[in-house]
Order: sequence, then C-alpha cells, then structure tokens
Amino acid sequence: MHFAAIDWIIIFVYLISCVAIGLLGKKYIGNVSHYLVAGRELGTYAGIATLAATEIGTITFMYNGELGYRYGFAAFAAALISGLVMIIVGRTGLVVERFRALRLMTVPEYFERKYSRGLRLLAGILVATGGILNMGVFLKIEGEFLTIVSGIDSRYLVAVMTAILLLELVYTVVGGMVAVVITDFIQYVLLSVATILVSIYAVHHAGWDNIVNKVSSTMGSAGFDPVQNPKFGITFLIWQVLLWFSIHTCWQTTAMRVFSTKSPEISKRVMTWTGFIYLGRGMLPMLWGAAALTLFGVGAVENGVPLPVVDGQTLAPIDAMPAMLANILGPGVKGIVVAGMLAATMSVNSSYLLGWSAVISQDIILPVREQMGKPPLSSRSQIFVNRLANLFVGVFLMFWGLYYTPPGAVYLYLNITGTIYLAGTFICVIGGLYWKRANTTGGYLAMLMGAAGAIIPFFFLHWSENVTGFCAFGLAALGLVFGSLIGKRAQPLKEAP
Amino acid sequence: MNYWQIFWTAWLALAGVSFAVITGIVMVKGYKDLRSMFSGLREQRTHDHE
Repeated sequence: MHFAAIDWIIIFVYLISCVAIGLLGKKYIGNVSHYLVAGRELGTYAGIATLAATEIGTITFMYNGELGYRYGFAAFAAALISGLVMIIVGRTGLVVERFRALRLMTVPEYFERKYSRGLRLLAGILVATGGILNMGVFLKIEGEFLTIVSGIDSRYLVAVMTAILLLELVYTVVGGMVAVVITDFIQYVLLSVATILVSIYAVHHAGWDNIVNKVSSTMGSAGFDPVQNPKFGITFLIWQVLLWFSIHTCWQTTAMRVFSTKSPEISKRVMTWTGFIYLGRGMLPMLWGAAALTLFGVGAVENGVPLPVVDGQTLAPIDAMPAMLANILGPGVKGIVVAGMLAATMSVNSSYLLGWSAVISQDIILPVREQMGKPPLSSRSQIFVNRLANLFVGVFLMFWGLYYTPPGAVYLYLNITGTIYLAGTFICVIGGLYWKRANTTGGYLAMLMGAAGAIIPFFFLHWSENVTGFCAFGLAALGLVFGSLIGKRAQPLKEAP
Repeated sequence: MNYWQIFWTAWLALAGVSFAVITGIVMVKGYKDLRSMFSGLREQRTHDHE
C-alpha cells in the first residue's frame, strides 16, 4: 500500500464533509430554475470556481499528462489555444452574452427558440448521446489514477469508483445546481492546492533542465515546435481553435454556468478570468507528464517515445504521471493531493451528471410529452424527471464507464466524441445568432452533416483527428448555408419569456 | 528550438502564476458570492410562495 493512515484520514474527512455540505443545497431548491441554474444567482467569483472545477477533473490531469509525456512542450499549444480562446469569448461576449440574455437552461432549448421543437429534440438527442459517451471514459481512467497513486488493489477498482459515483449522485440528485456550486467551490480550492503542490514536487524531483533535455533528446525540435510535430501541425492548431470556440460557447456543462450567472456582464467576466485558469489547467499537468518522461521514460520506444518503466514494470504513457506521484509524494502530502484529485473527479462528474440529465429531461422527455398532447409538467414534476434522468445517466456510466477503453490518446478521443454534436451545434448557434437567413432546414442539415462528418471519417475511414474535425465543422457550415438558402424564410428569434 | 523553449517557459510561468493568484482571490471572495447566492435563492423562494 502507498497510502499511510494520515492519507486515509484526509480522504475520509474530505468525502464525508463534501457530501454533507452538498446536501445542504436541497433547502434552496424551490423550482426547476433553482435546480438547473441555481436561480441565476451566481456571482463572478463563485462562477469562476464552479466553471473551473467543472472543467478540471482527474480525467483532465490524466489526458494532459499523457499529452505532455507523448509530445513534450509541443502539447502546450493545445492548452494555450484553449485558454486564449476562452479569454476572447469572455472579452467579446461571443454567444455567451446573448445566451445569458435569452434566459436559457440548456443549449438545445435555444434550438426551439430560433428554429423548431423538432430540431431541439434532434439537438437534445445528439448532445446527450455525445456527452454521455464522452463522459463514459472518465470513471475508468480516474479509477486507474486512484489505484496507481493510492496503491489500492486493482481488484477493488470497480467497487471504489462505484462508491465515488454514488456519493456524487447523492448530492447532485438531491440538491441540483445549488449543491453542485457549493461543492464545486470547496473542490476548486482543494484541486488547486493539489495542482500547485504537484507542480512544485514534479519540477523539484525531475529538475527543470533535465525535463528540457529529456524532451529535446527524445523528440528533438518536434518536442517544442507544434507545427513541426507530426501529430499536430497547422491543421491541428486550426481545428483546436474551432473546437475550443465551440466548447467554450456550446458545451452544455460550461453553458450551464453562463446561464446561472446573475447577468450577461458577469458571464463575460467569469469566462475571461477562467480563461487564465485554463492555461494552467492544460500546461501544468502537461509539465507533470514531461517530468514523468524524464524520471521513468526508459523502456522500449513506442511511437517515438520510450514507455515508462516503474519498479521494473512497463506502463502505458497515460499511467506514467500517477506512477510518478506515487513515488515522489510523501505521507500527508499524498493524502492532500489525492483528496484534491478526488475533489476534481467529483466536481466534474456531478456537473456532467446534472448537465446531461438536464438535456435528457428538458430537451428530450418534455418536448416528446408535449408533442404527444400531454399538458406541461409542473416545476416540481420537472425536478422529479430531472432526478430520474440523473439516476439513469449515473447507472449507465457505472456499466459503460468502467468497462470501455478508448482507443489512442484520450484527449483526441474526447475531442472527436465531442465534435459529433459540437460541430452542428456551434454552427447552428453562430448562424442563428449572427445570420438573419439561418433557418430550420439549414439547422437540420448542419446537425446531421456535422455528426456524419465526425463519425464516418474517424470511425469508418480512419482519417486523422485533425482532418475529421475539419470535415465535421466544414460539412456543418455547408449544411447550414445550403439549407438556409433553399429552405423557407427564417423566423425571428423568440426572446426570453 | 531555442525560441520555442523561451516561448513555452514564459507561457508556463504566466499560467502557473495566474492559476495561483486567481485561486487565492476566488478563495477569499467566492465565499461572499455563495452567501449572496443563498440570500438571493431565499428571496426567490419567499417570492414564489407569496
């Protein structure tokens, strides 16, 4: 066992207090707007904490660590783009300002306001499917991290991850967004402390000069220059810009924070400042990956990099970073770091559970009910449906998430599954907000061609992620323009009720 | 390669410092925001009941 008694005590105290505090959120839930968007009472600082905590999880540390291990400093380009794009979105208010002003609760809700109920349903199905498949890989990878760092026997991995998922479900189902915001605040503080601690430890143990020299000797200039790196290049960089614009504006869990803020102005401020956190969210774990390469990258060369060897055992590149933490952190510090990583895990999972279940209930179940001629549900009944959807997503993840292994680099898998719906959604949202002619026919074509453009090239034609990404966004844009030009005249956007 | 080394070192420093500074500010001011959120939600609930 890598864990000392003090580490276990820190973990248990954290878990119990987090769930107890999360449950306090229940007393503030009166209607569905409280449950899904915290009554739109979110201020700037709590907004930054919940947005950052939602999008920084153990999964983020793992895939960014893997990128740092495999591609060295060149991988920093992805982190730089994600942060700079978020700052631009925050400064300009692109999409987010209008989204907040429309008083939405989910992204597909916009599709009914601008296009039609049918398109909202299609968007809801694509958003929920893509989102849940995307989240599907989280549990297994997070479990791997915990197993390696804490030394828990891998036979208990399923039981441990199931227990963590159940704890998250308890407070998310009961307290909705209010519980998520409260716990996100605590979790953000913890995960940030852990991030800073690990960064100091990693550089201290590996040595800055050694890290630079190892990347240089292993990868040459491709370890620093993203244009020259065969995995990246100009097409990758441009695709990343497009992808991050779509993520920061249309990703359901990010957008829910925008919808929850007190005003459009606050939503812009939250995005701008969180953009700076996004720089560290990517670059710091990438640095840990490069440090792990320096300390353990001595195995057989695979795809241009030596595999990590720890205690005589050869590991996959993604497991090098947690193996490094298990080796360099002392008792007590390890407990704090793992509590921080657990906090990261729980904040992401609870927000994602709420985000995708909100889409299932608000954009799939409720429109279908109304289409069948049934009367609208009361606010209390809508909360009940949301809670059931939350449970459904949780149970699905328990089975899918623990057994499915993604092919290749996890970061790229997540990008592609996200692109399935992000390409069409982003193009429809941009077209709908900023182009008067965008209409329902164009919307349908954009959603379907965007999804086909991601699925067919990647899964059937085995094209690279970059080309697949371009194809998806390009086809979605083509679909919107073509459909809007041949379809009926566009209807005006329905403003907030 | 030297140019890229300097470039990434500078961005890494900026990323690390802003991460730490923003975390400090959010820790201090976020608590006040949460309290304001609670009172706003309480008001909304009272308004809903009336």
